[in-house]
Amino acid sequence: MQEIIKGRPALIDALTGDSGSPAAVHHSTDAYGNAYHWFKLPQPRRLTQAAARLKEAGARLCMISAYNRHQLSEQQQEICYHFELEGVIYNLTVNLGSEWPSVPSITPLFANADWHEREMMELYAIRVEGHPDPRRLFLDEELDAGVLNEAVPLSVMMNGACTTDLWERILKDRGNMA
Amino acid sequence: MSTPTTFQMPLGPVHVALEEPVYFHLTVDGEIIRKVELTSGHVHRGMEALASQRNLIQNTTLTERVCSLCSNSHSFTYCMAVENVLGIVIPPRARYLRVMAEEIKRVASHLFNTAIQAHIIGYKSLFMHVMEVREMMQDIKETVYGNRMNLASNCIGGVKCDVEPRHFDYILSMLDKVEPAVDEIRDIYDNDPMLLGRTRGLGLLPFEDAVRLGVVGPVARGSGITHDVRKDSPYAAYPELEFDVIHRDGCCVNSRTLVRLDEVFQSFRIIRQCCEKCPDGPVTAPMNQIHPAEACARSEAPRGEVFYYIRTNDTDMPARLKWRVPSYMNWEALGVMMRDCTVADVALITNSIDPCVSCTER
Repeated sequence: MQEIIKGRPALIDALTGDSGSPAAVHHSTDAYGNAYHWFKLPQPRRLTQAAARLKEAGARLCMISAYNRHQLSEQQQEICYHFELEGVIYNLTVNLGSEWPSVPSITPLFANADWHEREMMELYAIRVEGHPDPRRLFLDEELDAGVLNEAVPLSVMMNGACTTDLWERILKDRGNMA
Repeated sequence: MSTPTTFQMPLGPVHVALEEPVYFHLTVDGEIIRKVELTSGHVHRGMEALASQRNLIQNTTLTERVCSLCSNSHSFTYCMAVENVLGIVIPPRARYLRVMAEEIKRVASHLFNTAIQAHIIGYKSLFMHVMEVREMMQDIKETVYGNRMNLASNCIGGVKCDVEPRHFDYILSMLDKVEPAVDEIRDIYDNDPMLLGRTRGLGLLPFEDAVRLGVVGPVARGSGITHDVRKDSPYAAYPELEFDVIHRDGCCVNSRTLVRLDEVFQSFRIIRQCCEKCPDGPVTAPMNQIHPAEACARSEAPRGEVFYYIRTNDTDMPARLKWRVPSYMNWEALGVMMRDCTVADVALITNSIDPCVSCTER
């Protein structure tokens, strides 16, 4: 039996068109029958158009997740944009390529994309074109952007939390200042 | 030539409303606020990086520590994300027990925020009273789950511990005591002239701005938006339970508080139904084979929608675990709420979004 998946057919068709081919689209449901639609956009520049479509339909941006794909020893970044409309989740995924990762900002369309985009700039060093306020969000300017692109061992990551290294460094810095 | 009439005023980073750090840069004209900018990141813990170095089961413990007041919502939603990605269906009893823990936490969280509002206003006796009533909910948590904050109730595939029949009776008997007390509290927040004078019409977030900024939870519902994940895309036992989505059109601090207090009564309704309807049976489903996939899950925490996204690979550690907490969406609304208010209102308005800095920054 064909399972009926919730969502707006016209919107799903339009977003499938933006994705280029039906192979780049799939639909899923959870154990409670809530629907999730996944669209893979061929180029980052298609994002603005697809996001504008969702904006027009009255969707709300829920979250933006950036991540690294480690495949064939080539580091590629992808960003998944999660939108909600009438209880249904629409996910748009864009692949950034590896040379100069950049993506258009959707903050002009969705005001609440602001923090998400600033966060992926600082954590993944992704260039967001046309962001109205590209300041750091949480991390200090002193830290290099893209900290989540690096493979940091857990023991190093937790130095500050479970050893005296951090305090010794601070005391040393203070000594240098005096 | 006119001299500039505005000047910059820093506020924070500590103890603006709660004992959590956030730094406001206010542009003030006399004592009237014209512009608000905020700096955060003081308690950034890098939890998303930690999550990708722990296995799926260890991450249940980690995500429960994202936030204190809505700790249960995080492990709940994280477990749902893992169940979605691996195709696990949890047993009916677990669905009810998860909802029950969630609603007990919601009552305690809403009462805490309400109490802090009285504290900021300077109504100390009311603060003490609300906290005392909340203490009964803390007793429920301690008696049933063995802990006052982190219940450690959720696990992948269901819930860790079954709840005994005598505990259901105990919960019902406690609710009979808490409910009339909260009814009195709601009456005070709805009618006391001193509280109304301080909170009604303050910190306005008009409906249009609430939609534009995508705010969630009681902040959205206090501005007339009827979003509630429990109704919009029901999960766990919510499709089988009766409750109403509360909303108000006041758009002010008081209307957000009353949304929370009304929601407490809906939570009582839900907890009672869970105690009565909870089916017998197992409380966990077995784990499935881990395979590369992606999934998301969301739920309605006390502060609004929590959203989790997970990518798995062939290992037992997630390739990426990303989550967004409700406060993350609500901070920007402070710029709208505080415009043309006085400096003395900052703490009160900040508290009205029920902020959680630690979970915003992770």
